[in-house]
Order: sequence, then C-alpha cells, then structure tokens
Amino acid sequence: MDFLANLQLGFSVAFTPFNIVMAVAGVMVGILIGALPGVGPPSGVAMLLPLTFGMDPTSGIIMLAAMYAGTMYGGTITAVLINTPGESASVVTCLDGYQMALQGRAGPALGIAAFGSFIAGTIGVVLLMLVSPLLAKWALSFGPPETFALMLLGLTTVTMLAGDDPLKAYISMVFGLMLAMVGFDIISGDARFGFGIPEMMDGIDFLPVAIGLFGLGEVLATAEEKSQPIKGKLRLRDVFPSFADWARSKWAIVRGTAMGFAVGMLPGAGPTVASFLAYTVEKKVSKRPQEFGKGAIEGVAAPESANNAGATAAMVPMLTLGIPGSATTAIMLGGLMMWGLRPGPMLFEKNPQFVWGLIASQYIANVLLLILSTLAIPLFVRAVRIPYSILMPLIVVFCITGAYSLKNNLWDVGQMLVFGVVGYLMKKLGYSPAALVLALVLGPLAERALRQSLIISDAGIGILFMRPISGVLTALALLAIAVPVVRALMRK
Amino acid sequence: MRSADRVTAVLLLIFSVAFAAGALKNYSWWGPGGPGSAFLPFCLGGVMAALSLFFLVRSLRSPWPGRAWLPRGEGLRGMLVVLGVTVVFVAALKVIGMILGTALYLAVLIRYLGRHSWWVTLGVAAAAALVNWLVFVHWLHVPFPELGVWIF
Repeated sequence: MDFLANLQLGFSVAFTPFNIVMAVAGVMVGILIGALPGVGPPSGVAMLLPLTFGMDPTSGIIMLAAMYAGTMYGGTITAVLINTPGESASVVTCLDGYQMALQGRAGPALGIAAFGSFIAGTIGVVLLMLVSPLLAKWALSFGPPETFALMLLGLTTVTMLAGDDPLKAYISMVFGLMLAMVGFDIISGDARFGFGIPEMMDGIDFLPVAIGLFGLGEVLATAEEKSQPIKGKLRLRDVFPSFADWARSKWAIVRGTAMGFAVGMLPGAGPTVASFLAYTVEKKVSKRPQEFGKGAIEGVAAPESANNAGATAAMVPMLTLGIPGSATTAIMLGGLMMWGLRPGPMLFEKNPQFVWGLIASQYIANVLLLILSTLAIPLFVRAVRIPYSILMPLIVVFCITGAYSLKNNLWDVGQMLVFGVVGYLMKKLGYSPAALVLALVLGPLAERALRQSLIISDAGIGILFMRPISGVLTALALLAIAVPVVRALMRK
Repeated sequence: MRSADRVTAVLLLIFSVAFAAGALKNYSWWGPGGPGSAFLPFCLGGVMAALSLFFLVRSLRSPWPGRAWLPRGEGLRGMLVVLGVTVVFVAALKVIGMILGTALYLAVLIRYLGRHSWWVTLGVAAAAALVNWLVFVHWLHVPFPELGVWIF
C-alpha cells in the first residue's frame, strides 16, 4: 500500500505544469545533444546542470533525467543516417542501422529504435521502482567499511571498463582522486594544497571540471575533424516499422531490456556496455546471424532497448547507494549534492517527494520520448543538419556561461578552460575522463568512509575483509583490479 | 604517441612524488583520533608514482612508435583557432562583458570556421547573445560581468 501511495505522491509531483514542461524540454534537448557527434550525455548534463540551480531540485532532476533518456535515442539518429554515433551507447547501432539506411530503410531503423527505447525505458522504470526501495532498505545497514568498499568497487569497475588501456584508465582515476584531495579536509579542517588561494582552499569543483572535460574537450577534438553532412529527407510515415519488422524485433527488445537493466545497474557498467552485450547476445541467439552487420533490424532493436533500460538502471545505484553507474550519473550525483541532498539510502526516507517525483516523471518522459521521436523525427533530422561551424562556438559559449554561473566567478571559467585542454589531451592520448570525474565526485566521500573505518578498527585495514558485505565488495574490487593485470600477463 | 606517453609518465612521476612529499611535509599523517589529513594524499601519491613508473617502463620497452595523435595541417589549425579565440574571450570577459563578448566571440568563430555570410554570422551571434541574456541574466539572475561593471 505504501508503494502505491508513494507512486501517487510521485505523480502528484511530476504532473505539475512546470515539471511537465521541464520533462519535454529535457527530452528535446537530450535528443538534440545525443544526435550531435562529440557531445554526449555527460557533456549535456554537465552543461545543463547550472541552469537547474535556480529551480526546485525535483524539477531540476526531472529535466536532467528526461534529457538522459533523450540522449540515448538521439545518438541513434546520426548512427543510422551517417554512420556516426552521437554518443558511445549508440556505437553498436551503426553496424546494422547504417546498413539499413543504405538499403533505404532508415525510417524503420529509427522507428524500431524509438519503440524499443519506449518499451525498455518503461519496463526499466517499473524495475527501478521495485528494486530501488528494497536496495535502499538493505543499504541502511551499511557502515563506513561497506560504504568505502562499495565506492572502491564502483571506481574499479568504471576503470576496468573504460577505454582500451586499463593502465591509462587507472592513472585517470587516481588523478581524479588526487584532485579530490585539494581543499578543506572534512575531519581536521586543514586546507590541503590551497597555496593560499581562497578558491583553491574550497577544493576543485566537479562541475567546471566535467564541463571542461566533456564539453570543451570534445569540441576541441571535433574542431580538427571534418563533419559529414546529413543528406536526404525522412518522412513521418517512413518511421513506423512493418509487422514483419515487429515480428523479428519483439524478442530482441525483450532480451535487450532485461540485459540492459541488469548490466546498467552494476556500478561502472552503464548503458554503453549494456548495448554491446545485448548486440553480441542477439547475434548469438539469432537464427540469422549471417545477416548481422548487413542490416538486421534485431541488430538495432536489441542495443537500443538495452541502452535505454541501462540508462534507467544506472539511476538505481545512484539513488539508493550514492554510487553512480556511469559518467552521466556521476555528474547527476554531484548535482544532487549541490542541491543539498545526500544520495544514498536515506534519500528515500528523507526526500520521498524528490525520489518518487523523479520515478513518476520517468514514465512521462518515456511517453514524451516516443511521441517526439516518432512525430518530430523529421524536425530533429533537420536540426542536426545545422553546420558544425555554428554549433561548436555555441557549445563553447554554453560551457563558459555554465561554468561562470556556478558561483558567479571567473575562476571556475578558468578551471573549465584548463580542464577543456586536459580533456582534449586525455581523449587524444587514450585516457578516461569518465574515470577522472567519477573519482573527483566520489573522492571526498570515499576518504571520509575510509578514515572512519580506520578509526573504528583502530587502524586495522582488515576491517574491510572481516565484515561479510564489505568483504565481498572489497574482494570484487580487487578482482576488478586483477583482471586487466592477469589479462596482460596472459597475452605475454 | 610513444614519446607523448613517455613525457606524460615522467611528468606524472614528478607530480606524484611532489604531491606525496608535500602532503607529508605540510599535513599530519596520523592524529589522536586516527588517520590525519596527509594519510590519503600520501597513499595516492605513492600509488600514482608506482603507476607512472610502470607506465614509463612500459613505454620505454615498447618497440612500436604508436599512432600519431596530434593533428596536422587544417585539423591542427582549426583546433588551435577555437582554443585561441576561446582563451582570448575568457581573458577579456571582465573587460568586454559576457553579452557583448558572446556576440563578438560567435561572430569571429562562425565567420572563420564556416565562411558563412555576414547576415548568418551576425544573426546567429546576436540571437545567441540575446538568449544568453534572457536565460542567465533575466531568468536566473546571474550577475554577468558587463563592460567592466558588475550588474547585480
């Protein structure tokens, strides 16, 4: 009964005119951001976050979460039409989506992606609603050792899955943790590495860093490439898949949804890994594996369903445990803390309006996503035709104003600029900006949990292994560290 | 890429040693209640030193030069122009202000990157500056720097 009452509360929050407008705006901006190569979901959330500071936190998170769902679909548009994924979770969609476009079937490819995303997103929210309160209740029993072990697991799994070179990913993660050490120490009050500069004593804010790494850094990397223009037109009636398309895709959508949710919920895995896994499994179980890579509609339906379910599932560890499942949720987590909320199990107890408003708004966002991604698809195709020479400077202006409006000072703009260059170099040299941002967000929380654990145990690090939950989580984290090492040794 | 890796590894090694040493010198390693403020920074400095040392050895032993990572010609010019104009824009923000600065910045870059007509260039620049003002100044009350004067 509690459950229904909570959902009713959520819908009463989400169904206010302002929050519906925020959800519509979020989905529309998300589809556009997802469709622009080089501007992924983390950049979008980082750039939009400053806009939400003037709002009620619930409206802010509703807009950001709707945007996140929108980016998952937006990335498909360019993946299908010009073989260029708008964001990483749509990379695998290029394989069959673009082949379908070459065969004159871009419409059904985008259509099945839209319907698949809707089905997966909606089932994902139902699962989010069922799983999150249970997980939050379980997490209430966590003490500092369990919290630290969980954060360690989140950091190591993100690092394990980021990029081709695990060593560079670990360097990125440790660098992020080192940056998190700058500023006032939460326990002793020491101003660490402040060098007498007041802004440095406050610490390095994650938001200018995230805007720089993901926004400006991506723009600089894109500035050296020649973008491919979108040609041709797409009519509304082309977008609806035929009965034959549905018959081939229905189980791919179901499998994609299940896999997407399961994988997306793991700290560090997120929608990108989910989409790759769904594609691989679909090809394995298909009766026509030879058609994959040549325009099989299941090759679009499965990963597109998986990435939407994965994006919803990534919110489970963020809301219940305070551990982000992806770079985007890491930035959202930072946003929650800026709004004065403490993500974690107590969020469900202390801020039910916020949590249930967000959950209910996800249902609305999915319906809006379906309507906009089918009815407005010709409009979005037209919008992504705006030349890069116009879009790039606009994105930079948005990065600058976003960084400035955080605390109304130019220091943050300077920080954003520096991290823009760092982000460009990281991208070019194969480091992981996602691991850096995650470490920067989790660093202070992890430090507090570690130091509290050491105080409880009288300086014995063994406490992490002696308690059952923290023992299992620490063992898993060590396993995540060991896997790339063992793999490298075996290659030799 | 290999030389870039070597340079990065050396820089990271120096940075991590300085970070760990600075933590130990300036802050307490252990206090009466448990680990002090130098504890984790020192440990992280140590871990980063070990990682960068391993990275350096790996890149020194690598027989492959790796792929070129820095763009050349037009690509490099495009990236440097965007970066250069952005740095100038940020440096001049306090003097020229955010709204006028935005319009000028956009006009310069849009004209240079896309060779669009002056109508398109100035139209987009003016519209974006107006939207910027409406959203941030009018709606969110962000006190942007304006021609050297702070508007509150």
